[in-house]
Amino acid sequence: MNYKLDKGILMAYLYGELTEQEKEKLENYFAQHPEALEQLKALGEVRNAMSQVQEKEVIAPPVFADSNPPPSVWQSGYFKISLGIAASILFLLVAGKILGPEIRYAQGELRISFGRPQPEKKETPMLSEKEIKEMIASSLASNNESQKTVREEDHKKLMQTLVEMNSKKMGVLAENTSQASKEQVQTFVAGLQEQNLKLMKDYLQLNSSDQKKYMENLLVNFSQYLQEQRKQDLQLVQSKMNYIEKNNSQFRQETEQLLTSLISTPVRKNNY
Amino acid sequence: MMHSDHLIVRAREGDKNAQGRLVQLWYKRIYNFGYKFFFDHDLAMEVAQKTFISMHKNVGSLQEVARFKSWLYTIAVNYCREEARKKKSRRSFSLNDLRPGEGEESYRWEESHQRHENPERQLRQTELSDLLQECLMQLSEEQREVVIMKEYEGLKFREIAEALNISENTVKSRMYYGLDGLKKILEQKKITKETLGYEL
Repeated sequence: MNYKLDKGILMAYLYGELTEQEKEKLENYFAQHPEALEQLKALGEVRNAMSQVQEKEVIAPPVFADSNPPPSVWQSGYFKISLGIAASILFLLVAGKILGPEIRYAQGELRISFGRPQPEKKETPMLSEKEIKEMIASSLASNNESQKTVREEDHKKLMQTLVEMNSKKMGVLAENTSQASKEQVQTFVAGLQEQNLKLMKDYLQLNSSDQKKYMENLLVNFSQYLQEQRKQDLQLVQSKMNYIEKNNSQFRQETEQLLTSLISTPVRKNNY
Repeated sequence: MMHSDHLIVRAREGDKNAQGRLVQLWYKRIYNFGYKFFFDHDLAMEVAQKTFISMHKNVGSLQEVARFKSWLYTIAVNYCREEARKKKSRRSFSLNDLRPGEGEESYRWEESHQRHENPERQLRQTELSDLLQECLMQLSEEQREVVIMKEYEGLKFREIAEALNISENTVKSRMYYGLDGLKKILEQKKITKETLGYEL
């Protein structure tokens, strides 16, 4: 048997990925070569052992799915851009049709115009330099002359109006000032008089009131003095009267005592 | 897998709902591929997320619907290789590498998902799984990615060849040496059929 076992075939057999024909060939080989079968069994045991490795449980993260359907062709960016370009071109075409643009290039000049082309103006024959100078000189001279006359007239008018206006204004101004000064003096004097009168009045009023007050005070004081004096005199009179009364009563008592004593004493003398 | 093919067609046309459904269908597979490649949850999550972001961006350019599976694994493998390069340059280690001891403090109790089962049995199964995963991590990256794709993801040799852009014979060869390497590692760690029977 020319069958040669290699690692690839062995692995394919171990994981069941051989065709039936290859499988049969290999099994025949194993029958003749038990050491190869032992090798296979040993690898199978390794597989059995390694199958004890546990699967880890894991929760897939939440995926926030988009509820909107994928964008249609009509909503795609490319479509929008191409639509925009097409719309711009169409707009230009329509505008061109309506406005009728005309682009011409002639004698190094580019002309872009809209609407109907204007008929070209006829060119006037060229004038010579001398003629132009003469024309300019004559027009300048006539212009200067007319300007001069106009200026003179204007000057005259201006002077006249100025003189009139000045004289009028001066008259009005002088009148105003004279009137104004007379009135001002009158009002000033009247004001002064009024002020003086008022001041004098105030002063006199103040003076009279002060004097009045002073006199009143003086009279009051004098009356108070008189009253006090009267009171003191009355007190003095009273005291004198009292004293006299007292002396009088004492004298009467003494007199009574004397009389009584006298009355009693004559009787005894008579006895002598 | 007609239903999946229909989804792929719709996703390729830009249907966001179909793309979302594809993520739901394939997320666990890609995560587990990443997990077995790195034996690290964070890196596996990173790879899975990047893979599906890339899928979302590029599914429109997918030529053949039949090649979706190998195309998706191509993206996943590329991100795994990228992350592996970054990991090597960082020279950092995950906190998950700090394995607590046995008993109630073990994080494996927390990792147990099937709580209705016997907790002790579940713990032993998890420990065995981690032990075998460590054996897998001792293989070279090239062998590891082939072994995971074939043994755990169930891709055909042709699909793996497409995903890795190598010949089918190279895939089979890497698979053979991968299994042979695992046999030796298991022998070194004295993990035999009997041990596995005892463990289970």
